[in-house]
Amino acid sequence: MRGQRLLVSGMGGELGSLVASMLEDEPWVGSLFGIDVDPPRRRLRKAEFLRIEPTDRDRIVEVVTAFDPHVLVHLAVWEPDARAGTDLARAFTEAAAHAFIGAAAECRSLESIVVRSGIELYGRDRHALTRPDESVLPHPTSEYGRMLTRLEAAARQAGERIGVPVGMLRLAPVLGPHVPSPLGRLLRQSVVPYSLLADPPFSVVEDADAARAFVAAAQRRLDQPVNVVGPGAITGLQAIARGRRIPVPLFGPEWGLTRRLSHLVGAPIPDHVLEVLHRGRLADGSRAQQLLGVAPTVSTPEVIDRLYAWESVVRVPSPIRGAA
Amino acid sequence: MATIIDLPRRAFDTTRSIAMAPVRPLIPAGMVDEWGRDDHVIRALSPLLRLRWNVSVGGDQHLPSRSGALLVTNDRRFSFSPLYTSWALAQATGRPVRFVGHPDVVPFGPALRRMGAILRNPAEVRGALHHGELVVLATAPTNHPRSAGAVDPALVGAAVMAGVSVFPVASMSSPLGRSARVQVGAQVRPRKKRRGPLAEHELAEMTQRHLQRMLDELGGMQTGMTAIDWLGEG
Repeated sequence: MRGQRLLVSGMGGELGSLVASMLEDEPWVGSLFGIDVDPPRRRLRKAEFLRIEPTDRDRIVEVVTAFDPHVLVHLAVWEPDARAGTDLARAFTEAAAHAFIGAAAECRSLESIVVRSGIELYGRDRHALTRPDESVLPHPTSEYGRMLTRLEAAARQAGERIGVPVGMLRLAPVLGPHVPSPLGRLLRQSVVPYSLLADPPFSVVEDADAARAFVAAAQRRLDQPVNVVGPGAITGLQAIARGRRIPVPLFGPEWGLTRRLSHLVGAPIPDHVLEVLHRGRLADGSRAQQLLGVAPTVSTPEVIDRLYAWESVVRVPSPIRGAA
Repeated sequence: MATIIDLPRRAFDTTRSIAMAPVRPLIPAGMVDEWGRDDHVIRALSPLLRLRWNVSVGGDQHLPSRSGALLVTNDRRFSFSPLYTSWALAQATGRPVRFVGHPDVVPFGPALRRMGAILRNPAEVRGALHHGELVVLATAPTNHPRSAGAVDPALVGAAVMAGVSVFPVASMSSPLGRSARVQVGAQVRPRKKRRGPLAEHELAEMTQRHLQRMLDELGGMQTGMTAIDWLGEG
């Protein structure tokens, strides 16, 4: 098992950088290679990185086939309004999926594909299960959910064609100190809207817990979907109260105006985040321990508390002034 | 070179804190559990529930202390028996007890979910039972307080699939008075072990029969002699 070659797509993102830094410490990882449109956000010691646009498929195929990975960890997924608007996020995610999964399928050494997915694909339609487990069929009701459903289908089909196991980690909304998350950004505003009539519960997962799950999935050659959800749950109003923000109760039609205002102040509310506030988002993550050997340890209320404890601006003293 | 502008943040925080001070005690801090049940809300509503129902609980020693179980109770129309049964059993056992059947419509659905309700869906019930929860399921509603309605085999099938026990729970309350009774019976044990869907059909019928027997034994809410009963005594 030693000397494995791992390819991490989306290594430049916060989650990708975190996964890469954890993989560097794994004794079974021989060489680590990453590709993304942005450079990694952490100092990586062993990993090699190439900056390639997700739309540059020829270049990606060339680089990936030359590296010939044993495991592809596919994290190149753009959540709408996290780093790009919904249209751009959809285009980038689909382009990256075709390029990376297609290129990996051409590699003779490939033994496993691990894909980043999300519990958004279960959807929150009326009468949808409160805590769906992995056996529930995807029925997305938001654009992000549909993106993830297509991504999973593409990865599964590719895996079946070449006979390689495909593991899908369905993450709850990921929050962390530098993770670009529209939900986290909204909750950190001074004034936060919530649904007065519903105020449903939701769960989240901390970025470090999610990263540990990816490392375990790559090592164990996971071949099925797994929900990765922090223990516990919280409602929008409870989260706002914990952060000592001003809650704004909304009934229905004024949500449209609120979304526009929120967009103007820098916290757009995409439809999957609106769904969290209106219908909640929970999932049964009890199989993670059994299938991955690890399970999230930081509970949802703790992640929310940490969300509010993070500094807005981290001031780094100027080295020139410090030297003087 | 860019510089960071400091907004009057402290003044804003102070203003926000003063503005929120009167309403802060009304906002439930804390958290809900993984099914959306809010202990804070239930504790806050308990005096109101106690004002409506004075429930005496019996037979709760039959219930498992840790694992999940499906508790099937009778339901007279508009008696809200799943609500007071789950509330009374939660107080008696010290465990959260959920009940089946919240409408997925605001504001009733979310409000009942805070009280411990889950959807009337076999997959949802199975998920809760699989995670070691006590779940109260009402029979089909009837007009008579001492009549057990039909038990939905699909929902009993959730217990079969989750591998947990089924218990009959006789519940009785007065439409006007406060007195209410909740009596947990012994576990329903099917006579034959079935491999297929017959298991839930037979178990559902047997549970209904057990429940009916318990209700017959329990008697009515008003017991004792009426004022003119002595005339009939020899």
